[in-house]
Amino acid sequence: MSDRPGGNLLHNLLLFGRVCKALGLDINPGRMMEVAQALEFIQLGRKSDFYYTLRGLMVTRQRDLELFDEAFHLFWRRPAEGVSTLTIDSLGDKPRKKPKTQFLPPMDFDEDSSDSNLPPASESLAFVLTYSQQEVLRHKDFADMNADELASAKEIIEKLPKSLGRRRSRRYEAGKGVLIDIRKTFRRNMRYGGEVMDFPTRHLKLKPRPVVLLCDISGSMERYTRVLLHFMHTLANTMYQVESFVFSTRLTRVTHPIRHKSVDRALEEVGRLVNDWGSGTKTGGSLQQFNYRWSRRVLGRGAVVMLITDGWDRGEPEVLLSEIERLQRSCYRLIWLNPLLGGTQYEPLTRGAQAMLPYVDDFLPIRNLANLEAIVQELQKLNWRRSERLAHAHYILEK
Amino acid sequence: MFENVDAVQQALASQNYVAERGLATSIYLTLRLGKPLFLEGEAGVGKTEIAKVLALLLDTRLIRLQCYEGLDANTAIYEWNYAQQMLHLRLLEASGATRSEMEHELFTREFLQARPLLQAVEAAASGRPPVLLIDEIDRADEEFEAFLLEILSDFQVTIPELGTIAAEIPPVVVVTSNRTREVHDALKRRCLYYWIDYPSFEKELKIVRTKAPDVEPMLARQITAFIQELRRMELFKAPGVAETLDWTAALIALDQKKLSFDVVQDTLGVILKYQDDIESLQPGVLESVMDRARLHAEIARG
Repeated sequence: MSDRPGGNLLHNLLLFGRVCKALGLDINPGRMMEVAQALEFIQLGRKSDFYYTLRGLMVTRQRDLELFDEAFHLFWRRPAEGVSTLTIDSLGDKPRKKPKTQFLPPMDFDEDSSDSNLPPASESLAFVLTYSQQEVLRHKDFADMNADELASAKEIIEKLPKSLGRRRSRRYEAGKGVLIDIRKTFRRNMRYGGEVMDFPTRHLKLKPRPVVLLCDISGSMERYTRVLLHFMHTLANTMYQVESFVFSTRLTRVTHPIRHKSVDRALEEVGRLVNDWGSGTKTGGSLQQFNYRWSRRVLGRGAVVMLITDGWDRGEPEVLLSEIERLQRSCYRLIWLNPLLGGTQYEPLTRGAQAMLPYVDDFLPIRNLANLEAIVQELQKLNWRRSERLAHAHYILEK
Repeated sequence: MFENVDAVQQALASQNYVAERGLATSIYLTLRLGKPLFLEGEAGVGKTEIAKVLALLLDTRLIRLQCYEGLDANTAIYEWNYAQQMLHLRLLEASGATRSEMEHELFTREFLQARPLLQAVEAAASGRPPVLLIDEIDRADEEFEAFLLEILSDFQVTIPELGTIAAEIPPVVVVTSNRTREVHDALKRRCLYYWIDYPSFEKELKIVRTKAPDVEPMLARQITAFIQELRRMELFKAPGVAETLDWTAALIALDQKKLSFDVVQDTLGVILKYQDDIESLQPGVLESVMDRARLHAEIARG
């Protein structure tokens, strides 16, 4: 069957490489050449060695392991009964079922209702605001905006300043400071024949802080979700190291999909991942998922956490209490952004809000554009020095 | 060098390191292909240990670079010994040397302090490739990762004043990460990737009995079963294999023959490092976990 020795295996291997690439694994021709090279060193007859060789070279992320396994077992499975004379080498010649390419949960996102809020792109471009209109718009509740206003609100969101709080990194750079840069001192003073005349100094470099966004997308937040996701999209695309999550009954990480350049594509991708849109809120449980699975991976280096929720919670208050406390302890600053705050007669009296309030560092409204600007300004104030943490955020309410 | 994967697995076992087939395959390929091995996994599953065992097996030096934020070229590759250079400069001045002589004399190997990466390249260049362990790469910042890329693909270091030092046979490189942040794909792409998971009951039991040969067989089974039960619970930080071994040592030190409620309660701090996790094991819960562990251990006895 095979006139080229090893030819079919190579053929199959490349085919398998293509399948894996289609599944989203990081595969390139160089990689496949290495695989082929590596196969010379192992006993091909032993399937487990073959498997581990391929896995070691073709998978570079833990989350891809499962996908790879599934593809591997489908692709390199034993031929069915009746064709048992075939060796693994000849498999590539047979048409064969491809592994599933769709591993995402079914699409649950109601496209129609969301699209009715959005004018077609051409319309929004034609919509130009005068100054006074802009002023009105700045203070208008997102929930009361019509489609045109929302579109221009989004344009304004995109123009928000992008740099947020900074932290001191452990890396040095040349500049004013008390630490003498010995390497430079030595080099520079060579020109004076070894007489030490000036002392270049160095100081610690300032770096932007990582940001973690946790956005509530439950039913009670529905009127704000679109704008808030847009806000998240803007931050995720323009700032340094943003991790994004959404939650209602459970937590979904949307860091990668929300970074898509086109906001519509981004939201579509997010919608495909999330299957608990508009359901009840279990803030405590979602935060627990975040704390257990993600906090160690994304809260390093003095991250700022922005928790966007209205404080309505249908979960157990004890869980919420202990999880919000843990969350505050593990980040640099926990900011609660609430779309209901600042509305007439709103007071955070719900059980969830009462549980959360003592543990947030800032409690800010997020119901209109003026709020968004204020939030960004607040964040820019965060510097490398640890600002005093509020024992109780209540005082903001009293003011 | 090893002939095949089996040889690697046996050699690891001879050094009391229990490795599954997949890990042995990755190690074998690392040695054959001369590519770095990138190990990722929860804390305490034996990532660092692999480098140590490899150095023993290959009878070569282990050079370790512990990563931390702000790690830079001066501390990772090389640094000139300024104090000594200054001193030497004064002596040269006194002897009336010319400027070019001075520069020539000052920047020689003698005044160069080799840090781990240069040490590894130098050792490899001299014909004895060492094992280079780059530990906890996730603690270093992205800037460091970037210059590691060059070293890991070419295994050469260029010192402007001295020239380029290159290793013909690359050192055996082991990179570990606890995943406190994602390491950039560009770095991982240059390596063989292996995710070390928590071990199965059988494997962990084997590890306990290899590392603590004088432990009572029943106690070993109970310890392993108990830890396995804990990993199944929703804990903030599940215990790693390192904790299992610490706990075994602790229980042996306390002269235990099998798990007893009081001793387990008093020694929970050895395996659980978060107050909330310890609190979640209230007496009632602990009792039922222990019951399940005892049962599991009994079944495992066969």
